[in-house]
Amino acid sequence: MNVILAGPSLLEKIAFVVLAVGVLGGALVTITRKSAVTAIISLVGTFCAMAGLYATLSAHFLAVLQILVYAGAIMVLFIFAVMIVNRDDEHPIALRGLFVRAAGVLATGYLFYRVAWIVVRERQTDVLATTITLPIPDYGNVASVGRLLFSDFLFPFEAVSLLLLAAVVAGVLIARPTRPRDTAKSGGAA
Amino acid sequence: MPGHYYILVSLALFFIGTAGALLRRNALFVLMSLELQLGAGSLALLTFARGLGDQKGHVVAFFVMALAAAEAAVGLAIVVSVYRSRRKIDLDVINELRN
Repeated sequence: MNVILAGPSLLEKIAFVVLAVGVLGGALVTITRKSAVTAIISLVGTFCAMAGLYATLSAHFLAVLQILVYAGAIMVLFIFAVMIVNRDDEHPIALRGLFVRAAGVLATGYLFYRVAWIVVRERQTDVLATTITLPIPDYGNVASVGRLLFSDFLFPFEAVSLLLLAAVVAGVLIARPTRPRDTAKSGGAA
Repeated sequence: MPGHYYILVSLALFFIGTAGALLRRNALFVLMSLELQLGAGSLALLTFARGLGDQKGHVVAFFVMALAAAEAAVGLAIVVSVYRSRRKIDLDVINELRN
């Protein structure tokens, strides 16, 4: 249970590098592919690798939830949306002109460089030291996180259930063809 | 591993998601980029929770996950609805609010 001891071992480094490369490479493939189905499959890989990163942070409950919710439920929603919409991107990039595109990428890269420099400079602070031993033995388990969820965070938990109910109703209401003009035009594509 | 590596991965993932949301014109890809950004936020939350030895970050990451599910449901419903009426989901074509 005590995954991260003082000082990362070689196995931990290898696992972190593999998972981080999986996350970032999967994300890059996701935003650059032309076909939506390829992007969705690489997004599933990204979320699975991210669940592995959660597990190395001793967040076992969140790692399992990540697989179940993201790689399971949300990806099924995306695949159904692609099945209904079903058209490949003819012009994948929104901004026209190489200069504007390169300026956007360069600005994003420069912003990342500045913020990453701050993070590297402040790496000795206590918050970023994950090499400490676990405060409690069942840190990140279903039992301890669930106990916190149903004691201190009971009201936000119930509010989130209401939010999900509202999202389900809104999804049905928006996606259902209501006006007869739309049903005649879509021709039973629902 | 030291925590700032996780934060760097989270930052890179967030900016990849930002670039995807800004550069793509297909609405489906923009929604996927938003999911990437939310995942980057969850990763940072869990890293800081691990550094502080506190489990409240796990609870907040749980709420972020529920929020992402709600956002995906409503967003994809809007995409399907717009596709039914316009036959297009390109974000620079949908400009009915202009003028």
